[in-house]
Amino acid sequence: MNGGSIKFGLGLYTTLFIVFLYAPLAVLTILSFQTGPEGGPQFPIIEWSVYWYQHLFGLTPPSRIAPLPIEEALIRSLTLAVMTMIVSTVLGVTSAQAFRQKFRGSGVVFYLIVLGMMVPGVLVGLGMALVANALGIDRTWWGTAFVLHVVYTFPFAFLVMLAIFNRFDPSVEEASWSLGVSPARTFRKITFPLIFPGVLSAMLFAFTLSYDEFSRTLFASGRDLTLPLAIYGTFSVEVHPNVFAFGVLTTLFSFALLAIYAILMSLSVRRAKRVAVQEEA
Amino acid sequence: MAVITETASESAPPARTTSKGMWLLAPGVIWMTLFLVLPILMMVYVSFWTQTTFKIEPKLTLQSWITFFSSDTYIGALWTTVRIWLTVLAATLLVGYPAALFVGLFVKNKTLSTVLLVLCVIPFWTSFLIRVLAWRPMLGKEGAINMILMKLGVVSQPIEVLLFSDLSVIIGMTQIYCVFMVGPIAFMLGRIDPSIIEAAQDLGAGFWRIFRTIILPLSMPGVVVGSIFVSVMVLGEFATSAALSGRKVNLLGNIIVTQVGSLKWAFAAVAGVVLTILMGAAVAALLRVVDLRKEL
Repeated sequence: MNGGSIKFGLGLYTTLFIVFLYAPLAVLTILSFQTGPEGGPQFPIIEWSVYWYQHLFGLTPPSRIAPLPIEEALIRSLTLAVMTMIVSTVLGVTSAQAFRQKFRGSGVVFYLIVLGMMVPGVLVGLGMALVANALGIDRTWWGTAFVLHVVYTFPFAFLVMLAIFNRFDPSVEEASWSLGVSPARTFRKITFPLIFPGVLSAMLFAFTLSYDEFSRTLFASGRDLTLPLAIYGTFSVEVHPNVFAFGVLTTLFSFALLAIYAILMSLSVRRAKRVAVQEEA
Repeated sequence: MAVITETASESAPPARTTSKGMWLLAPGVIWMTLFLVLPILMMVYVSFWTQTTFKIEPKLTLQSWITFFSSDTYIGALWTTVRIWLTVLAATLLVGYPAALFVGLFVKNKTLSTVLLVLCVIPFWTSFLIRVLAWRPMLGKEGAINMILMKLGVVSQPIEVLLFSDLSVIIGMTQIYCVFMVGPIAFMLGRIDPSIIEAAQDLGAGFWRIFRTIILPLSMPGVVVGSIFVSVMVLGEFATSAALSGRKVNLLGNIIVTQVGSLKWAFAAVAGVVLTILMGAAVAALLRVVDLRKEL
Protein backbone atom coordinates (compact mmCIF):
# COMPACT_ATOMS: atom_id res chain seq x y z
CA MET A 1 0.00 0.00 0.00
CA ASN A 2 1.34 3.39 -0.95
CA GLY A 3 0.21 6.45 0.84
CA GLY A 4 3.36 8.33 1.58
CA SER A 5 2.10 10.54 4.38
CA ILE A 6 0.00 7.82 6.00
CA LYS A 7 2.93 5.45 5.97
CA PHE A 8 5.20 8.10 7.43
CA GLY A 9 2.66 8.92 10.13
CA LEU A 10 2.18 5.29 11.09
CA GLY A 11 5.93 4.73 11.08
CA LEU A 12 6.40 7.64 13.45
CA TYR A 13 3.59 6.29 15.62
CA THR A 14 5.18 2.83 15.72
CA THR A 15 8.46 4.39 16.84
CA LEU A 16 6.64 6.16 19.67
CA PHE A 17 4.86 2.92 20.48
CA ILE A 18 8.18 1.13 20.90
CA VAL A 19 9.43 3.98 23.08
CA PHE A 20 6.28 3.51 25.19
CA LEU A 21 7.13 -0.19 25.57
CA TYR A 22 10.72 0.45 26.59
CA ALA A 23 10.63 3.72 28.53
CA PRO A 24 9.75 2.27 31.95
CA LEU A 25 12.54 -0.27 31.72
CA ALA A 26 15.01 2.39 30.62
CA VAL A 27 14.07 4.60 33.56
CA LEU A 28 14.32 1.62 35.89
CA THR A 29 17.80 0.82 34.61
CA ILE A 30 18.99 4.41 35.02
CA LEU A 31 17.63 4.61 38.56
CA SER A 32 19.28 1.34 39.55
CA PHE A 33 22.58 3.26 39.40
CA GLN A 34 21.39 5.72 42.04
CA THR A 35 23.75 6.27 44.92
CA GLY A 36 22.97 4.54 48.20
CA PRO A 37 21.85 4.10 50.86
CA GLU A 38 20.39 7.62 51.01
CA GLY A 39 19.39 7.84 47.30
CA GLY A 40 15.76 6.99 46.68
CA PRO A 41 13.98 5.43 43.69
CA GLN A 42 13.44 8.77 41.91
CA PHE A 43 15.18 11.48 39.93
CA PRO A 44 17.50 13.26 40.03
CA ILE A 45 20.43 10.86 40.19
CA ILE A 46 22.42 12.24 43.10
CA GLU A 47 25.53 10.37 42.09
CA TRP A 48 26.11 7.41 39.79
CA SER A 49 27.12 4.28 41.66
CA VAL A 50 26.75 0.52 41.77
CA TYR A 51 25.83 0.64 45.45
CA TRP A 52 22.50 -1.16 44.99
CA TYR A 53 24.09 -3.96 43.00
CA GLN A 54 26.57 -4.49 45.83
CA HIS A 55 23.65 -4.28 48.24
CA LEU A 56 21.99 -7.20 46.44
CA PHE A 57 25.03 -9.38 46.96
CA GLY A 58 25.45 -8.30 50.58
CA LEU A 59 28.68 -6.42 49.86
CA THR A 60 27.61 -3.18 51.54
CA PRO A 61 27.79 -2.32 55.21
CA PRO A 62 24.47 -3.02 56.95
CA SER A 63 21.97 -0.19 56.64
CA ARG A 64 18.31 0.37 57.51
CA ILE A 65 17.31 -1.13 54.17
CA ALA A 66 16.99 -4.88 54.48
CA PRO A 67 18.58 -6.92 51.70
CA LEU A 68 16.24 -8.77 49.35
CA PRO A 69 15.88 -12.43 50.35
CA ILE A 70 16.98 -13.61 46.92
CA GLU A 71 19.68 -16.20 47.50
CA GLU A 72 17.51 -19.17 48.48
CA ALA A 73 14.61 -17.89 46.42
CA LEU A 74 16.83 -17.94 43.33
CA ILE A 75 17.79 -21.57 43.89
CA ARG A 76 14.15 -22.53 44.42
CA SER A 77 13.01 -20.67 41.31
CA LEU A 78 15.70 -22.24 39.14
CA THR A 79 14.97 -25.75 40.44
CA LEU A 80 11.27 -25.25 39.91
CA ALA A 81 11.84 -23.91 36.39
CA VAL A 82 14.03 -26.89 35.44
CA MET A 83 11.53 -29.40 36.86
CA THR A 84 8.67 -27.68 35.05
CA MET A 85 10.66 -27.49 31.83
CA ILE A 86 11.41 -31.22 31.80
CA VAL A 87 7.91 -32.41 32.67
CA SER A 88 6.00 -30.04 30.42
CA THR A 89 8.29 -30.67 27.45
CA VAL A 90 7.88 -34.44 27.83
CA LEU A 91 4.10 -34.07 28.18
CA GLY A 92 4.02 -31.67 25.22
CA VAL A 93 5.97 -34.01 22.94
CA THR A 94 3.97 -37.12 23.87
CA SER A 95 0.57 -35.39 23.59
CA ALA A 96 1.44 -33.78 20.26
CA GLN A 97 2.72 -37.15 19.03
CA ALA A 98 -0.67 -38.65 19.91
CA PHE A 99 -2.39 -35.85 17.96
CA ARG A 100 -0.66 -36.91 14.74
CA GLN A 101 -3.39 -39.49 14.37
CA LYS A 102 -6.99 -38.43 14.15
CA PHE A 103 -8.98 -39.81 17.04
CA ARG A 104 -12.43 -39.39 18.51
CA GLY A 105 -12.65 -36.67 21.14
CA SER A 106 -9.51 -34.93 19.91
CA GLY A 107 -11.35 -31.60 20.05
CA VAL A 108 -12.20 -32.00 23.73
CA VAL A 109 -8.66 -33.03 24.63
CA PHE A 110 -7.26 -30.10 22.63
CA TYR A 111 -9.41 -27.59 24.51
CA LEU A 112 -8.66 -29.28 27.84
CA ILE A 113 -4.94 -28.79 27.28
CA VAL A 114 -5.18 -25.24 25.91
CA LEU A 115 -7.42 -24.27 28.84
CA GLY A 116 -4.33 -24.55 31.04
CA MET A 117 -2.77 -21.44 29.52
CA MET A 118 -6.02 -19.48 29.40
CA VAL A 119 -7.35 -19.90 32.94
CA PRO A 120 -5.90 -17.10 35.10
CA GLY A 121 -3.45 -18.03 37.82
CA VAL A 122 -5.68 -16.61 40.55
CA LEU A 123 -8.39 -19.16 39.82
CA VAL A 124 -6.27 -22.31 39.50
CA GLY A 125 -4.11 -21.15 42.38
CA LEU A 126 -7.11 -20.67 44.63
CA GLY A 127 -8.63 -23.98 43.50
CA MET A 128 -5.39 -25.85 44.15
CA ALA A 129 -5.09 -24.31 47.60
CA LEU A 130 -8.64 -25.45 48.37
CA VAL A 131 -7.94 -28.98 47.12
CA ALA A 132 -4.75 -29.13 49.20
CA ASN A 133 -6.61 -27.90 52.28
CA ALA A 134 -9.42 -30.42 51.81
CA LEU A 135 -6.96 -33.29 51.41
CA GLY A 136 -4.76 -32.06 54.23
CA ILE A 137 -1.71 -31.74 51.96
CA ASP A 138 0.91 -29.12 52.78
CA ARG A 139 1.28 -26.49 50.10
CA THR A 140 4.84 -26.41 48.81
CA TRP A 141 6.64 -24.84 45.88
CA TRP A 142 7.94 -28.24 44.73
CA GLY A 143 4.54 -29.92 45.05
CA THR A 144 1.31 -27.99 44.64
CA ALA A 145 2.96 -25.01 42.95
CA PHE A 146 5.02 -27.25 40.65
CA VAL A 147 2.00 -29.11 39.26
CA LEU A 148 0.31 -25.77 38.50
CA HIS A 149 3.41 -24.50 36.73
CA VAL A 150 3.19 -27.56 34.47
CA VAL A 151 -0.54 -26.92 33.90
CA TYR A 152 0.47 -23.45 32.68
CA THR A 153 3.51 -24.31 30.53
CA PHE A 154 2.49 -27.70 29.12
CA PRO A 155 -0.04 -26.10 26.69
CA PHE A 156 2.72 -23.89 25.24
CA ALA A 157 4.98 -26.90 24.72
CA PHE A 158 2.05 -28.81 23.23
CA LEU A 159 1.18 -26.07 20.73
CA VAL A 160 4.81 -25.65 19.67
CA MET A 161 5.18 -29.39 19.12
CA LEU A 162 1.85 -29.56 17.28
CA ALA A 163 3.10 -26.91 14.86
CA ILE A 164 6.33 -28.85 14.36
CA PHE A 165 4.60 -32.17 13.74
CA ASN A 166 2.28 -30.49 11.25
CA ARG A 167 5.22 -29.73 8.97
CA PHE A 168 6.78 -33.13 9.54
CA ASP A 169 6.92 -35.62 6.70
CA PRO A 170 5.90 -39.02 8.13
CA SER A 171 7.33 -40.90 5.14
CA VAL A 172 10.86 -40.49 6.55
CA GLU A 173 9.85 -42.42 9.65
CA GLU A 174 7.97 -45.01 7.60
CA ALA A 175 11.05 -45.53 5.45
CA SER A 176 13.08 -46.18 8.56
CA TRP A 177 10.55 -48.65 9.95
CA SER A 178 10.28 -50.51 6.66
CA LEU A 179 14.08 -50.89 6.64
CA GLY A 180 13.69 -52.79 9.90
CA VAL A 181 14.94 -50.12 12.29
CA SER A 182 13.29 -50.40 15.70
CA PRO A 183 10.78 -47.66 16.67
CA ALA A 184 12.96 -46.53 19.59
CA ARG A 185 16.02 -46.18 17.35
CA THR A 186 13.93 -44.46 14.67
CA PHE A 187 12.75 -41.93 17.23
CA ARG A 188 16.29 -41.28 18.43
CA LYS A 189 17.92 -41.12 14.98
CA ILE A 190 15.18 -39.70 12.76
CA THR A 191 12.25 -38.17 14.63
CA PHE A 192 14.08 -36.46 17.44
CA PRO A 193 16.68 -34.60 15.31
CA LEU A 194 13.83 -33.37 13.12
CA ILE A 195 11.73 -32.11 15.99
CA PHE A 196 14.69 -30.83 18.02
CA PRO A 197 14.16 -27.12 17.19
CA GLY A 198 10.60 -27.46 18.46
CA VAL A 199 11.71 -29.23 21.61
CA LEU A 200 14.21 -26.46 22.25
CA SER A 201 11.55 -23.78 21.82
CA ALA A 202 9.16 -25.67 24.09
CA MET A 203 11.90 -25.89 26.73
CA LEU A 204 12.63 -22.18 26.47
CA PHE A 205 8.95 -21.32 26.83
CA ALA A 206 8.45 -23.63 29.78
CA PHE A 207 11.57 -22.46 31.61
CA THR A 208 11.01 -18.74 31.24
CA LEU A 209 7.27 -18.89 31.96
CA SER A 210 7.85 -20.93 35.09
CA TYR A 211 10.80 -18.81 36.24
CA ASP A 212 8.59 -15.73 36.00
CA GLU A 213 5.30 -17.33 37.13
CA PHE A 214 3.81 -15.73 40.14
CA SER A 215 0.05 -15.73 40.66
CA ARG A 216 -0.21 -19.53 40.75
CA THR A 217 2.79 -19.74 43.05
CA LEU A 218 1.34 -17.12 45.39
CA PHE A 219 -1.58 -19.34 46.36
CA ALA A 220 -0.13 -22.78 45.91
CA SER A 221 3.31 -22.51 47.48
CA GLY A 222 3.77 -22.53 51.20
CA ARG A 223 6.02 -20.40 53.34
CA ASP A 224 9.13 -20.70 51.16
CA LEU A 225 9.38 -17.87 48.66
CA THR A 226 10.29 -18.15 45.03
CA LEU A 227 11.94 -15.21 43.29
CA PRO A 228 8.75 -13.56 41.96
CA LEU A 229 7.17 -13.89 45.39
CA ALA A 230 10.17 -12.15 46.95
CA ILE A 231 9.66 -9.26 44.52
CA TYR A 232 5.92 -9.21 45.19
CA GLY A 233 6.72 -8.85 48.86
CA THR A 234 8.39 -5.51 48.15
CA PHE A 235 5.15 -4.15 46.65
CA SER A 236 3.62 -3.51 50.01
CA VAL A 237 6.65 -1.73 51.48
CA GLU A 238 8.65 1.25 50.33
CA VAL A 239 10.51 0.46 47.12
CA HIS A 240 14.26 0.99 47.09
CA PRO A 241 16.53 0.97 44.05
CA ASN A 242 17.82 -2.48 45.04
CA VAL A 243 14.65 -3.93 43.48
CA PHE A 244 15.48 -2.02 40.29
CA ALA A 245 19.03 -3.36 40.31
CA PHE A 246 17.60 -6.82 40.75
CA GLY A 247 15.24 -6.23 37.82
CA VAL A 248 18.18 -5.30 35.60
CA LEU A 249 20.06 -8.45 36.61
CA THR A 250 17.16 -10.84 36.01
CA THR A 251 16.55 -9.21 32.62
CA LEU A 252 20.19 -9.82 31.73
CA PHE A 253 19.79 -13.41 32.90
CA SER A 254 16.79 -13.88 30.60
CA PHE A 255 18.72 -12.43 27.68
CA ALA A 256 21.53 -14.86 28.39
CA LEU A 257 19.00 -17.70 28.19
CA LEU A 258 17.73 -16.31 24.91
CA ALA A 259 21.31 -16.18 23.59
CA ILE A 260 21.92 -19.82 24.57
CA TYR A 261 18.69 -20.74 22.81
CA ALA A 262 19.78 -18.87 19.68
CA ILE A 263 23.19 -20.57 19.67
CA LEU A 264 21.74 -24.07 20.12
CA MET A 265 19.16 -23.35 17.47
CA SER A 266 21.68 -22.17 14.88
CA LEU A 267 23.89 -25.18 15.68
CA SER A 268 21.01 -27.54 15.02
CA VAL A 269 20.10 -25.75 11.80
CA ARG A 270 23.72 -25.93 10.64
CA ARG A 271 23.86 -29.63 11.48
CA ALA A 272 20.68 -30.26 9.53
CA LYS A 273 22.20 -28.44 6.55
CA ARG A 274 25.40 -30.48 6.76
CA VAL A 275 23.42 -33.72 6.78
CA ALA A 276 21.44 -32.52 3.78
CA VAL A 277 24.65 -31.73 1.89
CA GLN A 278 26.09 -35.16 2.72
CA GLU A 279 22.96 -36.81 1.41
CA GLU A 280 23.18 -34.91 -1.84
CA ALA A 281 26.80 -35.81 -2.41
CA MET B 1 -25.92 -33.11 5.98
CA ALA B 2 -23.62 -31.97 8.71
CA VAL B 3 -24.01 -35.32 10.45
CA ILE B 4 -23.13 -37.22 7.31
CA THR B 5 -19.93 -35.25 6.63
CA GLU B 6 -18.95 -35.55 10.26
CA THR B 7 -19.23 -39.31 10.39
CA ALA B 8 -17.59 -39.55 6.99
CA SER B 9 -14.61 -37.52 8.08
CA GLU B 10 -14.35 -39.58 11.22
CA SER B 11 -14.40 -42.96 9.56
CA ALA B 12 -12.43 -42.18 6.40
CA PRO B 13 -9.00 -41.63 8.01
CA PRO B 14 -7.91 -44.22 10.58
CA ALA B 15 -10.44 -43.36 13.29
CA ARG B 16 -9.28 -46.09 15.62
CA THR B 17 -7.78 -44.88 18.83
CA THR B 18 -4.72 -47.07 18.96
CA SER B 19 -3.59 -48.23 22.37
CA LYS B 20 -0.24 -46.56 21.72
CA GLY B 21 -1.99 -43.24 21.11
CA MET B 22 -3.92 -43.69 24.34
CA TRP B 23 -0.74 -44.19 26.32
CA LEU B 24 0.82 -41.12 24.78
CA LEU B 25 -2.23 -39.03 25.57
CA ALA B 26 -3.07 -40.32 29.02
CA PRO B 27 -0.37 -38.52 31.10
CA GLY B 28 -1.28 -35.08 29.77
CA VAL B 29 -5.02 -35.63 30.10
CA ILE B 30 -4.73 -37.02 33.62
CA TRP B 31 -2.46 -34.13 34.65
CA MET B 32 -4.90 -31.51 33.35
CA THR B 33 -7.90 -33.25 34.89
CA LEU B 34 -6.34 -33.57 38.32
CA PHE B 35 -4.59 -30.22 38.51
CA LEU B 36 -6.79 -27.95 36.40
CA VAL B 37 -10.35 -29.25 36.20
CA LEU B 38 -10.49 -30.61 39.75
CA PRO B 39 -9.25 -27.35 41.40
CA ILE B 40 -11.81 -25.29 39.44
CA LEU B 41 -14.62 -27.66 40.41
CA MET B 42 -13.39 -27.57 44.00
CA MET B 43 -13.61 -23.77 43.92
CA VAL B 44 -17.23 -23.93 42.77
CA TYR B 45 -18.00 -26.52 45.45
CA VAL B 46 -16.31 -24.62 48.29
CA SER B 47 -18.23 -21.46 47.39
CA PHE B 48 -21.25 -23.22 48.92
CA TRP B 49 -19.47 -24.27 52.10
CA THR B 50 -20.11 -22.73 55.50
CA GLN B 51 -17.59 -20.10 56.51
CA THR B 52 -16.81 -19.69 60.19
CA THR B 53 -14.30 -17.19 61.52
CA PHE B 54 -11.14 -19.09 60.67
CA LYS B 55 -12.16 -22.18 58.79
CA ILE B 56 -14.67 -23.64 56.37
CA GLU B 57 -16.93 -26.62 56.88
CA PRO B 58 -18.43 -28.77 54.15
CA LYS B 59 -22.00 -27.90 55.16
CA LEU B 60 -23.73 -26.54 52.07
CA THR B 61 -25.17 -23.06 52.32
CA LEU B 62 -25.81 -20.00 50.17
CA GLN B 63 -24.58 -17.69 52.91
CA SER B 64 -21.30 -16.69 51.22
CA TRP B 65 -23.14 -15.85 48.01
CA ILE B 66 -25.66 -13.73 49.89
CA THR B 67 -22.88 -11.94 51.74
CA PHE B 68 -21.02 -11.32 48.50
CA PHE B 69 -23.96 -9.79 46.67
CA SER B 70 -25.18 -7.71 49.61
CA SER B 71 -21.79 -6.18 50.31
CA ASP B 72 -20.90 -2.82 48.79
CA THR B 73 -17.21 -3.71 48.83
CA TYR B 74 -17.62 -6.85 46.74
CA ILE B 75 -20.15 -5.38 44.32
CA GLY B 76 -17.87 -2.35 44.01
CA ALA B 77 -14.96 -4.63 43.19
CA LEU B 78 -17.05 -6.36 40.55
CA TRP B 79 -17.87 -3.04 38.86
CA THR B 80 -14.29 -1.81 39.17
CA THR B 81 -13.15 -5.02 37.48
CA VAL B 82 -15.62 -4.55 34.62
CA ARG B 83 -14.71 -0.87 34.25
CA ILE B 84 -10.94 -1.39 34.25
CA TRP B 85 -11.26 -4.38 31.92
CA LEU B 86 -13.32 -2.50 29.31
CA THR B 87 -11.11 0.58 29.53
CA VAL B 88 -7.90 -1.43 29.14
CA LEU B 89 -9.44 -3.43 26.29
CA ALA B 90 -10.33 -0.23 24.44
CA ALA B 91 -6.94 1.31 25.23
CA THR B 92 -4.92 -1.69 24.01
CA LEU B 93 -6.97 -1.73 20.80
CA LEU B 94 -6.55 2.01 20.18
CA VAL B 95 -2.86 2.02 21.04
CA GLY B 96 -2.04 -1.27 19.36
CA TYR B 97 -4.02 -1.13 16.12
CA PRO B 98 -2.01 1.61 14.34
CA ALA B 99 1.24 -0.12 15.25
CA ALA B 100 -0.13 -3.43 13.95
CA LEU B 101 -1.28 -1.67 10.79
CA PHE B 102 2.23 -0.39 10.18
CA VAL B 103 3.98 -3.67 10.94
CA GLY B 104 1.48 -5.96 9.22
CA LEU B 105 0.53 -3.97 6.14
CA PHE B 106 2.85 -1.06 5.45
CA VAL B 107 6.22 -2.67 6.05
CA LYS B 108 6.94 -4.57 2.85
CA ASN B 109 10.34 -5.79 3.95
CA LYS B 110 9.91 -9.13 5.77
CA THR B 111 13.09 -8.71 7.81
CA LEU B 112 12.06 -5.28 9.04
CA SER B 113 8.61 -6.43 10.12
CA THR B 114 10.13 -9.40 11.97
CA VAL B 115 12.59 -7.07 13.68
CA LEU B 116 9.75 -4.76 14.73
CA LEU B 117 7.71 -7.65 16.14
CA VAL B 118 10.73 -9.00 18.01
CA LEU B 119 11.30 -5.51 19.44
CA CYS B 120 7.75 -5.61 20.79
CA VAL B 121 8.27 -9.02 22.37
CA ILE B 122 11.66 -8.42 24.01
CA PRO B 123 10.22 -6.61 27.06
CA PHE B 124 8.44 -9.88 27.87
CA TRP B 125 11.76 -11.37 28.74
CA THR B 126 11.77 -9.19 31.81
CA SER B 127 9.95 -10.33 34.90
CA PHE B 128 6.28 -9.33 34.85
CA LEU B 129 6.48 -7.86 38.34
CA ILE B 130 9.53 -5.81 37.45
CA ARG B 131 7.69 -4.41 34.44
CA VAL B 132 4.83 -3.40 36.70
CA LEU B 133 7.15 -1.88 39.25
CA ALA B 134 8.99 0.05 36.54
CA TRP B 135 5.96 2.31 36.20
CA ARG B 136 6.40 3.69 39.69
CA PRO B 137 9.46 5.85 38.94
CA MET B 138 7.79 6.83 35.65
CA LEU B 139 4.49 8.05 37.04
CA GLY B 140 5.35 9.21 40.55
CA LYS B 141 5.13 12.80 41.77
CA GLU B 142 8.88 13.09 41.26
CA GLY B 143 8.75 10.63 38.39
CA ALA B 144 10.17 10.85 34.90
CA ILE B 145 6.97 12.01 33.21
CA ASN B 146 6.30 14.80 35.67
CA MET B 147 9.93 15.86 35.49
CA ILE B 148 9.86 16.06 31.70
CA LEU B 149 6.53 17.90 31.63
CA MET B 150 7.82 20.45 34.16
CA LYS B 151 11.05 20.96 32.22
CA LEU B 152 9.08 21.54 29.05
CA GLY B 153 6.89 24.00 30.89
CA VAL B 154 3.68 22.11 30.09
CA VAL B 155 2.71 22.03 33.75
CA SER B 156 3.94 24.08 36.68
CA GLN B 157 2.90 21.64 39.39
CA PRO B 158 3.58 17.90 39.27
CA ILE B 159 0.46 15.97 38.22
CA GLU B 160 -0.40 13.83 41.23
CA VAL B 161 -3.13 11.65 39.73
CA LEU B 162 -0.55 9.90 37.57
CA LEU B 163 0.37 7.44 40.30
CA PHE B 164 -1.82 5.57 42.78
CA SER B 165 -5.03 6.06 40.82
CA ASP B 166 -7.24 4.34 38.24
CA LEU B 167 -5.17 6.05 35.60
CA SER B 168 -1.87 4.49 36.66
CA VAL B 169 -3.42 1.01 36.68
CA ILE B 170 -4.85 1.58 33.19
CA ILE B 171 -1.56 2.95 31.82
CA GLY B 172 0.42 0.09 33.31
CA MET B 173 -1.94 -2.63 32.07
CA THR B 174 -2.17 -1.08 28.61
CA GLN B 175 1.59 -1.12 28.24
CA ILE B 176 1.95 -4.66 29.56
CA TYR B 177 -0.85 -6.23 27.53
CA CYS B 178 -1.07 -4.26 24.27
CA VAL B 179 1.47 -6.52 22.57
CA PHE B 180 -1.06 -9.36 22.80
CA MET B 181 -3.34 -7.16 20.69
CA VAL B 182 -0.64 -6.11 18.20
CA GLY B 183 0.53 -9.66 17.44
CA PRO B 184 -2.74 -11.25 16.25
CA ILE B 185 -3.85 -8.12 14.37
CA ALA B 186 -0.50 -7.77 12.58
CA PHE B 187 -0.71 -11.47 11.69
CA MET B 188 -4.16 -11.10 10.11
CA LEU B 189 -3.15 -7.90 8.27
CA GLY B 190 -0.07 -9.64 6.89
CA ARG B 191 -2.31 -12.22 5.23
CA ILE B 192 -4.27 -9.65 3.21
CA ASP B 193 -3.60 -10.09 -0.50
CA PRO B 194 -1.98 -6.79 -1.64
CA SER B 195 -3.72 -7.06 -5.00
CA ILE B 196 -7.11 -6.50 -3.35
CA ILE B 197 -5.93 -3.17 -2.00
CA GLU B 198 -4.28 -2.29 -5.29
CA ALA B 199 -7.52 -3.06 -7.11
CA ALA B 200 -9.42 -0.78 -4.72
CA GLN B 201 -6.85 1.97 -5.29
CA ASP B 202 -7.07 1.56 -9.05
CA LEU B 203 -10.81 1.95 -8.78
CA GLY B 204 -10.21 5.27 -7.02
CA ALA B 205 -10.91 4.43 -3.36
CA GLY B 206 -9.19 6.65 -0.80
CA PHE B 207 -7.32 5.34 2.24
CA TRP B 208 -10.25 5.67 4.66
CA ARG B 209 -12.62 3.91 2.32
CA ILE B 210 -10.11 1.06 1.85
CA PHE B 211 -9.54 0.91 5.57
CA ARG B 212 -13.25 0.76 6.37
CA THR B 213 -14.33 -1.70 3.69
CA ILE B 214 -11.28 -3.96 3.31
CA ILE B 215 -8.64 -3.68 6.01
CA LEU B 216 -10.85 -3.44 9.09
CA PRO B 217 -13.20 -6.34 8.26
CA LEU B 218 -10.31 -8.61 7.28
CA SER B 219 -8.45 -7.81 10.50
CA MET B 220 -11.44 -8.56 12.77
CA PRO B 221 -10.39 -12.15 13.60
CA GLY B 222 -7.09 -10.70 14.86
CA VAL B 223 -8.94 -8.11 16.91
CA VAL B 224 -11.10 -10.82 18.47
CA VAL B 225 -8.18 -13.14 19.28
CA GLY B 226 -6.23 -10.20 20.75
CA SER B 227 -9.26 -9.11 22.76
CA ILE B 228 -9.69 -12.60 24.18
CA PHE B 229 -6.02 -12.66 25.26
CA VAL B 230 -6.21 -9.20 26.83
CA SER B 231 -9.58 -9.84 28.50
CA VAL B 232 -8.54 -13.09 30.13
CA MET B 233 -5.31 -11.58 31.41
CA VAL B 234 -6.78 -8.31 32.66
CA LEU B 235 -9.69 -10.03 34.40
CA GLY B 236 -7.28 -12.30 36.24
CA GLU B 237 -5.10 -9.40 37.35
CA PHE B 238 -4.30 -8.29 40.85
CA ALA B 239 -0.59 -7.48 40.89
CA THR B 240 -0.73 -4.36 38.72
CA SER B 241 -3.58 -2.87 40.73
CA ALA B 242 -1.80 -3.74 43.98
CA ALA B 243 1.44 -2.13 42.86
CA LEU B 244 0.21 0.96 41.04
CA SER B 245 -3.02 1.97 42.76
CA GLY B 246 -1.78 2.07 46.34
CA ARG B 247 -4.64 -0.28 47.28
CA LYS B 248 -7.22 2.17 45.98
CA VAL B 249 -8.30 0.03 43.05
CA ASN B 250 -9.65 -3.32 44.21
CA LEU B 251 -10.30 -5.82 41.48
CA LEU B 252 -11.94 -9.19 42.06
CA GLY B 253 -8.45 -10.66 41.95
CA ASN B 254 -7.41 -8.41 44.83
CA ILE B 255 -10.50 -9.48 46.77
CA ILE B 256 -9.49 -13.12 46.34
CA VAL B 257 -5.96 -12.40 47.56
CA THR B 258 -7.10 -10.53 50.68
CA GLN B 259 -9.81 -13.08 51.50
CA VAL B 260 -7.33 -15.94 51.25
CA GLY B 261 -4.95 -13.91 53.41
CA SER B 262 -7.57 -13.75 56.15
CA LEU B 263 -8.57 -17.42 55.66
CA LYS B 264 -12.01 -16.56 54.31
CA TRP B 265 -11.82 -19.39 51.79
CA ALA B 266 -15.53 -19.56 50.99
CA PHE B 267 -15.72 -15.85 50.15
CA ALA B 268 -12.60 -16.15 48.02
CA ALA B 269 -14.24 -19.07 46.22
CA VAL B 270 -17.39 -17.02 45.57
CA ALA B 271 -15.29 -14.19 44.12
CA GLY B 272 -13.44 -16.79 42.03
CA VAL B 273 -16.66 -18.24 40.64
CA VAL B 274 -18.00 -14.75 39.84
CA LEU B 275 -14.73 -13.99 38.05
CA THR B 276 -14.94 -17.26 36.10
CA ILE B 277 -18.49 -16.47 34.98
CA LEU B 278 -17.49 -12.95 33.96
CA MET B 279 -14.58 -14.31 31.98
CA GLY B 280 -16.68 -16.96 30.27
CA ALA B 281 -19.27 -14.35 29.32
CA ALA B 282 -16.56 -12.05 27.95
CA VAL B 283 -14.99 -14.77 25.80
CA ALA B 284 -18.39 -16.01 24.58
CA ALA B 285 -19.43 -12.46 23.65
CA LEU B 286 -16.17 -11.90 21.75
CA LEU B 287 -16.52 -15.18 19.89
CA ARG B 288 -19.95 -14.08 18.69
CA VAL B 289 -18.38 -11.12 16.90
CA VAL B 290 -16.46 -13.33 14.51
CA ASP B 291 -16.71 -17.03 13.82
CA LEU B 292 -13.05 -17.85 14.34
CA ARG B 293 -13.27 -21.37 12.96
CA LYS B 294 -14.51 -20.03 9.67
CA GLU B 295 -11.98 -17.22 9.50
CA LEU B 296 -8.75 -18.89 10.51
